[in-house]
Amino acid sequence: MAAENSKQFWKRSAKLPGSIQPVYGAQHPPLDPRLTKNFIKERSKVNAVPLKNKKASSFHEFARNTSDAWDIGDDEEEDFSSPSFQTLNSKVALATAAQVLENHSKLRVKPERSQSTTSDVPASYKVIKSSSDAQLSRNSSDTCLRNPLHKQQSLPLRPIIPLVARISDQNASGAPPMTVREKTRLEKFRQLLSSHNTDLDELRKCSWPGVPREVRPVTWRLLSGYLPANTERRKLTLQRKREEYFGFIEQYYDSRNEEHHQDTYRQIHIDIPRTNPLIPLFQQPLVQEIFERILFIWAIRHPASGYVQGINDLVTPFFVVFLSEYVEEDVENFDVTNLSQDMLRSIEADSFWCMSKLLDGIQDNYTFAQPGIQKKVKALEELVSRIDEQVHNHFRRYEVEYLQFAFRWMNNLLMRELPLRCTIRLWDTYQSEPEGFSHFHLYVCAAFLIKWRKEILDEEDFQRTPSPREQRSHRKKVV
Amino acid sequence: MAETYDFLFKFLVIGSAGTGKSCLLHQFIENKFKQDSNHTIGVEFGSRVVNVGGKTVKLQIWDTAGQERFRSVTRSYYRGAAGALLVYDITSRETYNSLAAWLTDARTLASPNIVVILCGNKKDLDPEREVTFLEASRFAQENELMFLETSALTGENVEEAFLKCARTILNKIDSGELDPERMGSGIQYGDASLRQLRQPRSAQAVAPQPCGC
Repeated sequence: MAAENSKQFWKRSAKLPGSIQPVYGAQHPPLDPRLTKNFIKERSKVNAVPLKNKKASSFHEFARNTSDAWDIGDDEEEDFSSPSFQTLNSKVALATAAQVLENHSKLRVKPERSQSTTSDVPASYKVIKSSSDAQLSRNSSDTCLRNPLHKQQSLPLRPIIPLVARISDQNASGAPPMTVREKTRLEKFRQLLSSHNTDLDELRKCSWPGVPREVRPVTWRLLSGYLPANTERRKLTLQRKREEYFGFIEQYYDSRNEEHHQDTYRQIHIDIPRTNPLIPLFQQPLVQEIFERILFIWAIRHPASGYVQGINDLVTPFFVVFLSEYVEEDVENFDVTNLSQDMLRSIEADSFWCMSKLLDGIQDNYTFAQPGIQKKVKALEELVSRIDEQVHNHFRRYEVEYLQFAFRWMNNLLMRELPLRCTIRLWDTYQSEPEGFSHFHLYVCAAFLIKWRKEILDEEDFQRTPSPREQRSHRKKVV
Repeated sequence: MAETYDFLFKFLVIGSAGTGKSCLLHQFIENKFKQDSNHTIGVEFGSRVVNVGGKTVKLQIWDTAGQERFRSVTRSYYRGAAGALLVYDITSRETYNSLAAWLTDARTLASPNIVVILCGNKKDLDPEREVTFLEASRFAQENELMFLETSALTGENVEEAFLKCARTILNKIDSGELDPERMGSGIQYGDASLRQLRQPRSAQAVAPQPCGC
């Protein structure tokens, strides 16, 4: 039975030491250095993780083959959680990095591409700071054991955790070379995007399974309805919309300190530093100012909802994707003062408009009493009661209400539950769906819940739930 | 398995956005300041077992979002709370001014008997103070609240706030002022046998699950 298989897959991978990771939406032991020690020994088990099949014959098979997508970059969440984890991680990272490198140099017979990086690394004692670093040390440590192209199998090596979240595969340096399939896909996108009138239906179809990062910015602009399908009109539209946005700024931004807008601005102002607090990019004053402007203008132009916490998170994927157009290296550590005024203005205006388009589809999530969310949480409950009665009954038995955990899933579109890179990937699909951010999101939430069904069913104490973050940060303590 | 305890109390942490509710909870649970705190959406949970007056009490703490727009949703979490930390920021008069509204919510939605302790948080930022100790303690007196100034950063009075609230609830149980058996009291007995021992008459009144939330 397929369900059986996926269960076993989970069991198997759960034994992999590298998967000693906080689990989203479920109880899980915290990252324990004692547990990560053995991972090198058992690393050969990596290959037990099923490779992706060309054709998935059933949903469960598909789910199984793609389940690793949840795992990439789990470490980001790790970083987000609490300072205590950060220090733990860096210690673990140092220790494991040293071990990996030592082990690796023993195993290594002939030099490979990344040899130089490895030998350069008395950096084994250097804290890994960026995704490219992490990627490099990853490649260097596992090339001898597994095919570097299967990047997603990096699961067992995750104890080497970058201090700073990796935003996505934006980095060119450490990324594995493109497969033929990826090249063809990219070619297909380029063709679609450059044709006189981009076939949006076709573009949606192609984007559903993920947009190559090279063409993601323009694809997102098109999918969100911000850019016209007609290539000739694009440049002019962009110019006009960007001017329009900065017209708003000129007209309204000064009113932020006036009495009727004070509350809105104050709330935005205290939330911005708390947005992705551990990613250096978002701590730069210039970036924070951009976010403040985008959110303030949106809020006062939508008085029915105004600014609601959570909307700040929704700017980040757009900002990062549009920034990636200009940045070769790691986006998360990029210093935006290196960009010209014009570039920054384009990123800001485009982020504003695309976010506005997104919010148009889910505005009732943020209006008084948040009816959109209430409705969706109810729908989720109804859906789960049909597709997984056992989980549903388990919640009822332990008096866990859906609103207690799923409210945030809806309010922040799972962005607090997923690493940013996964959100970006998820949004490729959301934007290819007619009502991706409202309707389709519901099914993703259900899938997310079912993904952790085993952990949920094993859990009897929901006082430290409902999400992994609390599980890690609010762990019980017996005095 | 679940640890043993005599009582379980449901606690709320309420108050305006940015007053440090989650940081208070984090300091209480983890004994550290949460540096890179993100604003709470909806509700988050924490629990800790404490010793109060010879009794073991499990505190099940519901840390709520402070932003006004979430009020209609967070209100649904109030039901059956036995105690609450009502938090304002001593450096922000605005957060102090909204205390009355929060208090009304707590007393009407949780229980009129809810034991509330007022916490003037960010005590460490004394130079930026906008609300005096005296003023707040007068408010507390008028509204029959306990009162402490706390610092989630240094940990000052954080533990005390939670324990004081728990102690008051226990005293009220002892004096008969609070009846744990009453529906929505926010109090449960730690295990069924203990409960039966104390209250042999109505064993079926409360679900025997010690961990329902």
